[in-house]
Amino acid sequence: MKIELMKTLFAATTALVALSGTAFAQGIENYKPVTADMLANPPAEDWLMFRGAYNNQGYSPLDLINKDTVGKLQLAWAWPMAEAGIQETAPLVHNGIMFLQTNNNIVEALDAKTGTLIWQYRHTLAELPTTWSYQINQARRQKNSIALYEDKVILTTADAKIVVLNASDGKLVWEKQVLDYNKGYSYTVGPLVADGKIISAISGCSIAGTAGGCYIMAHDVNTGDEVWRFNTINDPDNPAQQASWGDVPPENRWGGTPWTTGAYDPETNTTYWGVGMPGPYSELIRGSGDGSVLYTNSTLAIDVSTGKLKWYYQHLPRDNWDLDSPFERILVDQDIDGVKHKLLVTVPGKNGIAFALDRDTGKYLWSKETVYQNVVKSIDADGTVHINEDLISSAVGEEHLICTSVSGGKLWQAGSYSPLTQAYFVPLTEACNTVAPTQTEFTAGNAVGAVKFGPRVLPEGITDAGLMQALSVNPTQGESKWQYRSRPSMTSSVLATAGGLVFGGDAARDVKAWDQETGDVLWSQTLNAPIGGYPMTYEIDGEQYLAIPTGYSNAASSISSAFPEIPLPTGAGNSIFVFKLPKSAS
Amino acid sequence: MLRFVAPALFLLGTGVAFAQTSGIPPEELTNTRRQAGDSITVCVDATGQSRAFDLDVAQAIGDALFLQVKPIEGFGGFPVNGDGFMDELTLAMNNTCDLFMGVSVSTEVQVSEVFSITRPYVTIPFVLAVANSDWQKLADIPLDQRLGTAMSSIGEMTYITWAQQRAKSERWVRLPYADPDLMASRVLDGTIAGMILWQPTLAKLRADRPDAQKLRTIATDPVAETAIRVGALVSSRDSFLRNQVDQAIDALVADGTIQGLLDKHHYLGHAGE
Repeated sequence: MKIELMKTLFAATTALVALSGTAFAQGIENYKPVTADMLANPPAEDWLMFRGAYNNQGYSPLDLINKDTVGKLQLAWAWPMAEAGIQETAPLVHNGIMFLQTNNNIVEALDAKTGTLIWQYRHTLAELPTTWSYQINQARRQKNSIALYEDKVILTTADAKIVVLNASDGKLVWEKQVLDYNKGYSYTVGPLVADGKIISAISGCSIAGTAGGCYIMAHDVNTGDEVWRFNTINDPDNPAQQASWGDVPPENRWGGTPWTTGAYDPETNTTYWGVGMPGPYSELIRGSGDGSVLYTNSTLAIDVSTGKLKWYYQHLPRDNWDLDSPFERILVDQDIDGVKHKLLVTVPGKNGIAFALDRDTGKYLWSKETVYQNVVKSIDADGTVHINEDLISSAVGEEHLICTSVSGGKLWQAGSYSPLTQAYFVPLTEACNTVAPTQTEFTAGNAVGAVKFGPRVLPEGITDAGLMQALSVNPTQGESKWQYRSRPSMTSSVLATAGGLVFGGDAARDVKAWDQETGDVLWSQTLNAPIGGYPMTYEIDGEQYLAIPTGYSNAASSISSAFPEIPLPTGAGNSIFVFKLPKSAS
Repeated sequence: MLRFVAPALFLLGTGVAFAQTSGIPPEELTNTRRQAGDSITVCVDATGQSRAFDLDVAQAIGDALFLQVKPIEGFGGFPVNGDGFMDELTLAMNNTCDLFMGVSVSTEVQVSEVFSITRPYVTIPFVLAVANSDWQKLADIPLDQRLGTAMSSIGEMTYITWAQQRAKSERWVRLPYADPDLMASRVLDGTIAGMILWQPTLAKLRADRPDAQKLRTIATDPVAETAIRVGALVSSRDSFLRNQVDQAIDALVADGTIQGLLDKHHYLGHAGE
């Protein structure tokens, strides 16, 4: 009887989900499915995934908007996003439709030519119980990516589900509860579809209930069945990984969250992910001694067929300062003297150090410092990273000034690589903060936090918070091509195009177009709020469009005291601005 | 008002640990004056260790002030690094709670412009719990055994501070636990010899788990005893309430009400500071 009642309730709930999940549903006629071939070779006019292509380059081959025409850009349309939140959205475009995810897992489909709403899907989270404060907090972020595949839109949600929508009308097709949100699991990173699998990674790996398990996972794209999972803090196949945690068994380990959607190499069927910091932050608290706490702050190369680790490289061992290294991994191919070089290029962590690895072997190739940092003392020719042990607290309350800060250096804002100029463009912030392990027992006996961070401040002698760093990249070195410094911090990801331009923006609400070769600013426009999310571009009916997200920015607010003459808006203003050239110019 | 809230948020954002979140979009913060009449909204941490006791104290405070108490399950479920914690606390104290009970009053307490902290209404110790009946104090436990500590707690801090002053061979290996249930299981199965945790947490384990009756407390020698002073947060929107609550706490400590509640919940410690 009880079971029957439960079934009825469940059915009623499901029906409610189906009914309430879609607020508007006008529908798209003749939607052309996104094929596997398209994902492998994205049409120039589309922007099919997180960073445009599997290689995560954030590069578009479109060139109608170029050095000669960019000054003529005009506003085509603008759109206020569905809810306020932290702006980290990554718009996608296919078939003339823009798919836009906002916070609380709301997805909107807009006519990419006019900005007219076609449908909206509102994920029906269960009423978030009070023990879900972390998920509530995470749901407020504008999630950074969704995925398109066949006639579906795929998203990952704050309540640890994979949700699949019908792309033409936004209706729910199926959803899968991947992990238990009651333990604290929550998605903050979007999915990647490759080899018939939905590949993504879970967050919430620093909550009590998730001890010992943080996963990159693959699910069948059609059924949602789990194909494999890889645990970033407990790899029984690698004794070195286990030993790196010292005396700490898996059930007392936390952290290792992959925060940014991975890259994929179809040629080798390999996916590449970055992993974040260990928990607790301080080794004094976590009990791991001088262990390197693998695979935190590492790049992982995983076989997409099996989920097995091919190789790993740790960018920051023994992290004590929440300088996690989960950010975008970019795949770069360069033909030099008839030899094809397959690189993985990244500024993986908050300390802003750029790395290049051989992506087939994981071999370290080179590294290059960008912003001021004091945590890495040196990196050997074989890639062994030596940290500054003087900055490790040996007593509770012992404070050190750490550069960069917990807010970066580098943060979630992704850089882009341009094959046109063989340059990697990285948005960065100059910042330091004090760090001290401590006991922050808020509600008595129930601790939440073991490190105290001081205010973000500029490094001594530096007056500009913002840095746009262009690096010339090849298999043997990464050298500074140019730098553009600014008082306000950089707040958006950047976009490189075949028009010789790179687009990005800052806390002062200015979106800029730089000349990839020189760093000269060729176009600038002040908008309503700090520039955010992931700028992208697409083409419809022979016209190139440039989409710029704006809105509430943690990258702006965390260091705004460094540029007090630039007031931040008191409203979030989360919006999409879309520019194009007048007909005569294009 | 928002002009003042924005810098306050910056201060908050800088004070706590976070990995990938920071700050609160301004729209999330209400800018209204509560029309509460003769009632106060009292929040507790839903995952707090002394929730029922704290709500009893809140009711006593309400009774003393002739105010109706509206209890609300506050928030909980934060990462061990505190990610997002101050965001949600700021929202709770700005938008919802007049009082937030069960707050640890220490030098490490979070500070903010959206709340102030009352004087402590109770002081409760950390204890060392073991299952082995041969041990009467921490020093009786062989050094090759391991200990568990409630992660990021003041009790853990005391142990770490002591241990750091000794050679590795002269101290116990310590493992941090965020889940007291799991830590208790590991004491009972022998994985760790004992656990240092807040006494109300042990009282709750004993109440919830029959097998936890095997756990008993022993002296922490040679590590010093540690206790938490427990108070409440009061919304900065009502500074008058802060004074009233402090006066009520004084009265409840003096007339034995708090001690009575300690006894009711089988808590060690004493009323007030």
